[in-house]
Amino acid sequence: MSEGMTRVIRVGVVFVVAALIPSLFVLVAGHNPWRVLETLLLYALGPQGWSEVLVHAIPLTLIGLGVAFAFRGGFFNIGADGQLIAGAVLAVFFAPYLDGWGIAGLLVFLILGSLGGAALGALAGYLRAWFGASEIIVTIMLNYVMVQMISYLIRGPMQETSRFWPQSYLIPENCFLPVIVQGTRLHAGLFVALAMVIAFAVIQRRTVLGFKSSVLGANPGAAAYAGFRTKILTVVVMAISGGLAGLAGAVEVGGIYQRLQDNMAEGFGLAGIAIALIARLEAAAIPLAACLFGIFFAGTGALQRELALPFPLVWIIEGAVIFAVAAVQWALPSRKAVA
Amino acid sequence: MTPLLEARSLCKNFGQLRANDDVSFAIFPGEIVGVVGENGAGKSTLVKMLGGALTPDSGEILISGSPVTLHSPADAQRAGISLVHQHFNLIENLTVEENLVLGRPELRHGIIRFKSLRPEFLAVAEDLGTHIAFDARVSTLSVGGRQQVELIRALFHDPRLLILDEPTAVLPPNERDRLLRFIRLLKGRGTATILISHKLDDLYDCCDRAVVMRGGRVVGTSDLLVDERKELIRLIVGAELPPPDTRHGTPGKALVSVKDLVVHRDNGTVAVDRASFDLHAGEIIGLCGVEGNGQTELLQAMAGMRPIQTGEINFAVGTRPMTNADAASLRRIGIAHIPEDRLHYAVVAAFSLTLNFLLRKLSKPRFAAWGLLRRQAAAKATAAAIKHNDVRASGPRARMADLSGGNQQKFVIARELSDDVAVILAGHPTRGLDIRTVVAIRNRLVAERARGVAVLLLSADLSEVWDIADRIMVMARGRLRGPVRIGETTLAEIGHWMTTP
Amino acid sequence: MDVLFITALLAATIRLGMAIGLAAIGEAASERSGVFNIGIEGIMLSGAFVAAWGSVRTGSPWLGVLFAMLIGILLAAIHAFMVLVLRIDQFVSGIGMVIFGLGFSSFAARLTIGAKPTSVHGLASLDFGAISHIPIVGPVLFGQSPLAYIALALAVGTGWVINRTAFGLEIRACGESTAVAETLAIPVKIRQTACILFGGATAGLGGAYLSVVQVDAFVENMVAGRGFLAVACVMLGRRRPVVAFLAALGFGLAEAVQIRMQTIYPDLPYQFLVILPYVAAIAALVLGHSRRRLETV
Repeated sequence: MSEGMTRVIRVGVVFVVAALIPSLFVLVAGHNPWRVLETLLLYALGPQGWSEVLVHAIPLTLIGLGVAFAFRGGFFNIGADGQLIAGAVLAVFFAPYLDGWGIAGLLVFLILGSLGGAALGALAGYLRAWFGASEIIVTIMLNYVMVQMISYLIRGPMQETSRFWPQSYLIPENCFLPVIVQGTRLHAGLFVALAMVIAFAVIQRRTVLGFKSSVLGANPGAAAYAGFRTKILTVVVMAISGGLAGLAGAVEVGGIYQRLQDNMAEGFGLAGIAIALIARLEAAAIPLAACLFGIFFAGTGALQRELALPFPLVWIIEGAVIFAVAAVQWALPSRKAVA
Repeated sequence: MTPLLEARSLCKNFGQLRANDDVSFAIFPGEIVGVVGENGAGKSTLVKMLGGALTPDSGEILISGSPVTLHSPADAQRAGISLVHQHFNLIENLTVEENLVLGRPELRHGIIRFKSLRPEFLAVAEDLGTHIAFDARVSTLSVGGRQQVELIRALFHDPRLLILDEPTAVLPPNERDRLLRFIRLLKGRGTATILISHKLDDLYDCCDRAVVMRGGRVVGTSDLLVDERKELIRLIVGAELPPPDTRHGTPGKALVSVKDLVVHRDNGTVAVDRASFDLHAGEIIGLCGVEGNGQTELLQAMAGMRPIQTGEINFAVGTRPMTNADAASLRRIGIAHIPEDRLHYAVVAAFSLTLNFLLRKLSKPRFAAWGLLRRQAAAKATAAAIKHNDVRASGPRARMADLSGGNQQKFVIARELSDDVAVILAGHPTRGLDIRTVVAIRNRLVAERARGVAVLLLSADLSEVWDIADRIMVMARGRLRGPVRIGETTLAEIGHWMTTP
Repeated sequence: MDVLFITALLAATIRLGMAIGLAAIGEAASERSGVFNIGIEGIMLSGAFVAAWGSVRTGSPWLGVLFAMLIGILLAAIHAFMVLVLRIDQFVSGIGMVIFGLGFSSFAARLTIGAKPTSVHGLASLDFGAISHIPIVGPVLFGQSPLAYIALALAVGTGWVINRTAFGLEIRACGESTAVAETLAIPVKIRQTACILFGGATAGLGGAYLSVVQVDAFVENMVAGRGFLAVACVMLGRRRPVVAFLAALGFGLAEAVQIRMQTIYPDLPYQFLVILPYVAAIAALVLGHSRRRLETV
């Protein structure tokens, strides 16, 4: 059998398995997988669903870019959930002072979000570089810490004025990201996400910083030999990674929630890791992977409403997709030079 | 008389590469046979097949006249063949006795009672004439100590044939002599030995005859007559070597002075203990020592890659002198560094040659300005560098991992020397390369010296240091001896320094 | 502080640290053989659900515990297949396992025993009679769930096997250098598979401990980072099962302390106390650095 044929068969097997796992659960739940897939796709690509897919894809793209940036530097950032909260909190904290600043206020609002996430990412990078503390564990732990922090803030110092609901005050209107298609929730965060995709690609391909971080990821010894200050570089890479997640936090608040609340963008951090992995850390592929996951999120919501299929099905699908895509790397090993 | 072991027409391919092509070989009881050839000549492949670590694609192996099939090293051991690899098969973080047990599958079941095994271990160690702490971690042993653990492991099985793959490459002269004596002792007991080496002196000192391999084939044998040495070299290389460059430099002022330098290993132990010396323009200093005695750390500290605990390194290069500078600053003022561990430091295997070129050029405005890379300029410069330095690659877009070791090393040297340099810090620049590349690299260093460049040459190959260095210094357990002029010392004295701090 | 308080605190330390400890034992064995599994969080979640479900369906919490071990082994087998056969990055496969375990446990729970906490038949504590009434020692040492004693035996037993037996020596060899282990004719993948499956079994047990001992219910995402804490324990214990187990009890103490402080200091926002184990994990990793080798210069 030819090598090409073997590859085709391998990839085929991978996709069949990826489709079979969620189907099995759907069958056990008493539904027809074909019908479920049809419902999911009809909703997600239909007149109401398409905008919801993009609404989910906006923060997922930003988080996926952040995770990918850390990955390219050789670090695992599993703390996007916490960094997202940190960004949202910092942005909302200062938002009242931005009232009346017009469009500049929105810009500052987004920058504050990035800074919040960057601070948390930089902390993990600092502990890794100077103390050798695994950034995997530190970022995960910070997620649990940040969930409690936002819970405290929206029931304490940042609670809305009636002090009844567990949510913060509203941000001023000039910090809202305007809806760009009437009748949907699709907001201007889309442009922010696309701008970041381009920025990511430029940084990785054209800049000294991107080059240094990819050397650090591919061969830390070579980074030291080349004379890079690897500790500081570690902090910078993790800060940028966290900053993108923090930006996602500010974008979610500005575009959707307009305030802080519990369970904002819950589980997007894990999805962001999956997105970065299946996009193979390539800038152009990340928004596409994010749209795929947007379909899963939006579509599974519809399945819950229309077929009473529990929403956590989305995680089963995501898990299966990770296994499948990882297995594609087994099926099609890459031999191309990083140029 | 039937040979103890005979190989008939062995062939072994790795993909397109014919590693062994119709190789026949025989050894008789009590004989010591040298196998010699360049890197890639097929020596290791041959002995791995004889030792059961590889199975031949075709051909047969006979032991005492009857054909055998060796599927594993364990099979070979049962047949009386023990193989000691060039790269030790020891687990660093386990103790000596744990490694010894691992080498004996028949002991690997149930609960291990080390105490009851000790007497047996001790008997073999004494036979070898070594005193080794069985509860020491292998990572704490010297290279010679590790080799002794491997030898004990090999001797457990009372081998009729012992195969040693490059055993002397890592040893200081006196330990090398001891090993060769032990091999002759085994010969007296009727044990045969196959000795693989690229050092002709080993063959002349110890072997009964030598088999020469080249390009995967046996190209001849030699009875090791002293006056045929030149013919033997020609047989090994397959052609005349380019003549060595013998120009000398004119020693100038001290470009690097090291004073009371103390450097630690990664684990916090002292690697370099109060070292002081000067490196002058227009000279080559050879830095020798048994692996693991601090030479590596000394070189890394000088290159700005390892923190300095106390003491100082002064660089009198360029417009203003620098002390204890970091790698990036040193690069800028013209200190070239050829790291000893190429794949770990000098190159990024998955990257293109252009990106690897950029690795050490980010301070040059030609290649990077305002935080942006100038990839086209870098690609052009890379293309020029690989052309002028005879680096065999498809072009600047080729992947570093696809180059042979020799071409990777030539690339590293080309990159380092493509700008004006004043000092070259070279760590084992010729290790593991074929003889022609070795000569080319040595000639390059000598030519740089003639231009007034100062060279520090860390080398495990004493004959290399003897050939091209002006002075030599030795490290043993972190203490530095020398430097002395090559003409004012002897190999025996250097060997003594290498083992006594 | 009085005796009763200390007694209750220590008893709670053991009770609250046990789920992490169980998972840490198996993860230590797995990492010792050279395979890292960040996915035990997902395996613990699956184990917690399956134990609760099994207990509700069969009426026997012990059967629930058995099912939890089996699902743990099954999921670990997937990890082993991904990592050892397909040679997929350990981290990637582990993250897949985290996500899949989250989905499987929540999805299946909503379809079977309901999304809201359902009371399950818990595992009763062992009754040692009179000795369990000795002050301090009695309630702390003799008032625990049978699973706690099993855990202790597993920790000591795993440490013994790794350090004293030929099997353990081979496992250590695999973890230190796969290449050398292979040349020494050690069946590396078989040894590693055994360790990964063992890790899955104890992670499943750890999950079961949560749902049939500690809480007597299944709640979505109830593992709440304990799987990741178990990985941290293995790092802190340098892959030694007994030390990792003790580190887990340290997190149990942090949890026990924070719960008590909530009642002692009702004015302090509880959120600042809930984070204590997580902050302790970060602090422990930072403080434990001095003896660890840094990869980057």
